[in-house]
Amino acid sequence: MFTGKGGVGKTSCAVGCALAAAAEGRRPLVVEMGHRASLEGIFGSEGPASVDIGYTPREVGHGVHAMNLEFEASLVEYLEQNIKIKRVVRAITRNNALMRFFHAAPSVPEVTALNKLASLVEAREGGRPRWDPVIVDLDATGHALMLLNLPRVMDGLIGDGPMRGLIDGFSGLLSDPKRTVLNLVTLPRELPAQETLELFGTLDRDHKVPLGRLVVTQCPTPVFEDADADARAELAKAAEGGDFPAAQRAVIVAERAQARYARAQAQIAALREGVSLPTVAFEHRPQLELEGLQALGRAIIFEEAGHA
Amino acid sequence: MPERAASIETVEQFDAHLDGKRLIVCVGPGGVGKTTVAASLALREAIRGRRVLVITIDPARRLAQALGIDGLGDAIIPIDLSELEAQGVEVRGKLAAAMFDQAESMDALMTRVSPDEQTRQGILSNRVYRAMAGSLARSHAYLAMERLHEVMSGDDYDLVVLDTPPARNALDILDAPGRLTRFLEDGVVKWFVTRERKGLAGRLLSGGGAAVTKLFGMVVGRDLLDETLAFFNVFYELRGGFRERAEAVQAMFREPSSSFVLVSSTETTHLDDARALAASVGSRRVALEFAIFNRAYERLEADPSLLRTTVPADLDAQLEAASAGISDPARALVPALRAAVAKAAAANASAVAAVESIAAELPGSCVRRMVPSADHDVSDLRGLAALAPHLATAPRVLADD
Repeated sequence: MFTGKGGVGKTSCAVGCALAAAAEGRRPLVVEMGHRASLEGIFGSEGPASVDIGYTPREVGHGVHAMNLEFEASLVEYLEQNIKIKRVVRAITRNNALMRFFHAAPSVPEVTALNKLASLVEAREGGRPRWDPVIVDLDATGHALMLLNLPRVMDGLIGDGPMRGLIDGFSGLLSDPKRTVLNLVTLPRELPAQETLELFGTLDRDHKVPLGRLVVTQCPTPVFEDADADARAELAKAAEGGDFPAAQRAVIVAERAQARYARAQAQIAALREGVSLPTVAFEHRPQLELEGLQALGRAIIFEEAGHA
Repeated sequence: MPERAASIETVEQFDAHLDGKRLIVCVGPGGVGKTTVAASLALREAIRGRRVLVITIDPARRLAQALGIDGLGDAIIPIDLSELEAQGVEVRGKLAAAMFDQAESMDALMTRVSPDEQTRQGILSNRVYRAMAGSLARSHAYLAMERLHEVMSGDDYDLVVLDTPPARNALDILDAPGRLTRFLEDGVVKWFVTRERKGLAGRLLSGGGAAVTKLFGMVVGRDLLDETLAFFNVFYELRGGFRERAEAVQAMFREPSSSFVLVSSTETTHLDDARALAASVGSRRVALEFAIFNRAYERLEADPSLLRTTVPADLDAQLEAASAGISDPARALVPALRAAVAKAAAANASAVAAVESIAAELPGSCVRRMVPSADHDVSDLRGLAALAPHLATAPRVLADD
């Protein structure tokens, strides 16, 4: 599972890991949680995925399958598993008002989502897991916590009913280091970094979910090496000296980019210190191509602490 | 009559247009500086002489500090603008800010709408409610809506600027009024509730509701069912007020004095979200008047309103002349300098192209603005004020000398 704020590159990480796993001959499945279009954006015109990715897994190219964990479809599946009378299931699913109600009801979307995820993990074909691995692109930080909190929220609310066993099963799945790992994705900027530090604190303190990597994406590259300080000052002074407005501006632009780099490095250092997980810092690329994504995936899967 | 947004080019036209606004709603993906843009716009209007309230969600700590609302709950507090006045800015109006704390606001809302202590206690102590209030992001939309209704019905502010949760959840605020109304009207709640308080057994056995209640019990279990029933029983009593306010807010969104502003960066992932958002806003019959692309370009000219997309033609000559008499290590940095400018110019060019490509998917009347990257994260009132000119007028694109 990958979690992090919107726009930090969760989908890139998920797809990267899938590409890297597929290159090893595995059968990865990327599961998007209610996302729109992020996967289509990546595979775009290249794969057959230029059409919608729906609830049924489909190959999107390069040995990667993908699906969108839509609420309604997962609720229907859940109902079909728990209510044996088809007619009753149909009566519920055809009733728009009732479907909306279930969407609004506390924890029902989380239960049905976890139900589907668990069955994807357990699915087997030809004596081996059908999906290896199931890679979940969680919607946002809050969403991840909602899923992880579910067993606790439900505790005391569910004494009987079909949910009890299910919830216990989810707790087991979400805390089993052999089956589950949650990776945190963030950017080397103040707000996302701060949120990640807080998230790590919460997860570390309150949850049993096994944590994998901290992935920092879009790390800027330096304009100058640090040792250049004197030379930089000299060059800046020379540009200011004469009538060189464009050169002077260039110094400002370069120093600004350098300052951005320094600030990003400071955020990465704070993250490394506050989050005791192997950290993968990935360089800034305006447009990650499939190859770049695969490299990112390999870094996440194989790199040890502090590398990359 | 406010001018059509598309014809807004000058600061005067922008001012005149905003003078006709009572509500500005900022929507956009997360991580693009939406809150900063909302706060900057609010501050600008306060400086111009209006009484402005900005309602923000989860602002960056330093921005919250800049506004002076760090650590406060959801109370509305006046922002001290004397720092700006000390810097020579003439502030003619007033700025106030409120920050949402979800669970706290939900409790405050329930307290406000409960007619009596018994109802209030019934809701606040209900475990289903507690689970919802604490952990469900969805409830945010209802809160924002209620809050909005509260401040808009008063006469304390000339303009309210509302920041919304990131991207996908932003539309909840548009849908919440309608959804809530339908939810209450569809009779779903009615199935679970009876007007006569017969107790659970009576409800389970009574007519049409019985089957639905049983079904729900099969899905979620008996204990959760009981708590849910209790919750709806109390909630149902309050439905009239909720519906009334929901409809009022819904109507308000569509008034000409309301303006929706799309805030995005020019990064591909954000633009994809922005595109989807613009389409959804449009399909809800709400006019998207502004699209603001934040941190969209690097300032390559001293004049911040110039957006350069190419390396200045005379840069190489100037660099050579400037570095003529300097030491070797300093001269060795010239290529890095040039590369930094080339990289920034290329990024600016793709930003301009990206904004043009999304333009076709925005309403024809939608005004586009590009805001340059700030040197630092905006962390004080001065930084917020510095953004404002870029919101008012579009940058001039310089492709070559």
